[in-house]
Amino acid sequence: MLFTNCFFHISMLTFQLWVAFRQVSGNAEGDALYALKSNLGDPYNVLQSWDPTLVNPCTWYHVTCNFENQVARLDIGDAGLSGQLVPQLGELRHLQYLEMYNNSISGGIPREVGKLKKLVSLDLYVNRLSGPIPDTLGRLHTLRFLRLNNNNFSGHIPMSLTTINTLQLLDLSNNQLTGPIPVNGSFKYFTPISFANNPLDPLPASPT
Amino acid sequence: MVSEFRAAFALISILAWLLLTGHATPSDIECLKAIKSSFKDPNNYLASWIFDNSSICKFTGIECWHQDDNKVINIRLSGFGLKGEFPLGIAGCASMTGLDLSGNSIHGNIPSNISKLMTYITSLDLSSNQFSGEIPADLANCSYLNVLKLDNNRLAGHIPPQIGLLNRLRTFSVAKNQLTGRIPIFRNISFPAGSYAGNPGLCGKPLPAC
Repeated sequence: MLFTNCFFHISMLTFQLWVAFRQVSGNAEGDALYALKSNLGDPYNVLQSWDPTLVNPCTWYHVTCNFENQVARLDIGDAGLSGQLVPQLGELRHLQYLEMYNNSISGGIPREVGKLKKLVSLDLYVNRLSGPIPDTLGRLHTLRFLRLNNNNFSGHIPMSLTTINTLQLLDLSNNQLTGPIPVNGSFKYFTPISFANNPLDPLPASPT
Repeated sequence: MVSEFRAAFALISILAWLLLTGHATPSDIECLKAIKSSFKDPNNYLASWIFDNSSICKFTGIECWHQDDNKVINIRLSGFGLKGEFPLGIAGCASMTGLDLSGNSIHGNIPSNISKLMTYITSLDLSSNQFSGEIPADLANCSYLNVLKLDNNRLAGHIPPQIGLLNRLRTFSVAKNQLTGRIPIFRNISFPAGSYAGNPGLCGKPLPAC
């Protein structure tokens, strides 16, 4: 009798710990987004609905989840945001669209963005971002749109980007990029428009 | 007071954004106006092309470089039943890299100065129309071309040998035309016989020797 009583209590305790743990780990994406919010200036309160006490971020404005309540889209373009991006963005493993264009975000692109294996669109254009384009972005093998134009990125264009075979639209124009313009792999498809207004090495003239 | 400041800030931001991201936006609008007026559109596929100072980026068949920047990257009007000749006004779309006019009823010549009309073209599909005359040698100056589809038209004469200089070309077809003469030699690639089939007098690899 005492044994079954003990057994019952221990199983209930285990069950409750399991439920609590599931709630905490199910919120990992919410924690990542909240870390982003904490690092951004938001004068128009665009992120006001971002409440980390909710079970997941799927009801937050500007966040779109898929059918399994995983974050698929982040649409905070044109939002008057300042501050910087955070490495925790790499935790949004099912993210397909990262839309943060036309803000005043500064700092660099965290290398962890290269962990977003389902990313289709990376739009950070028209901001105040600086530093290099991380070579880890070459791991984004489902990326179709990469628009980093109108920032202050410097250094070379990573050769790893030429291995992204799905890339349809590239805009790196209006930055401070230097070095050679890759023309191999997927970059055969891109013209001087994608690289304009950078102190890059000029492309060799085509044979006539 | 605060809301007026916000409105002014928003307006200045929008103007600054347009200045930074757009270039030659008025001529992209002129380009699309020229296309619309060049063609008869019996199926009314271009009904959404209404020029009222709103964004052209949501027009049917139009893809822009960025959200509502009025800077055209791709024009895809395949199978729209359009009738007319090649729209020369397309030169106004200075940032266009993709053009697909396949499967329409477009007649007349491919413009002889085509590289001036679309300097940065990477994918050009004029297949399944009624283009006649010669393939312009000036296509060889469209040095960024990856895809060139001219099949199923009424093109005659020779394929300009300079086409062999297009070193980014990976898809090329002139099948089903009225072409004769030697097939160009490409340095780093060769295209299969299917790219040249259905012509009366083409010769040279991959077809039988001239």
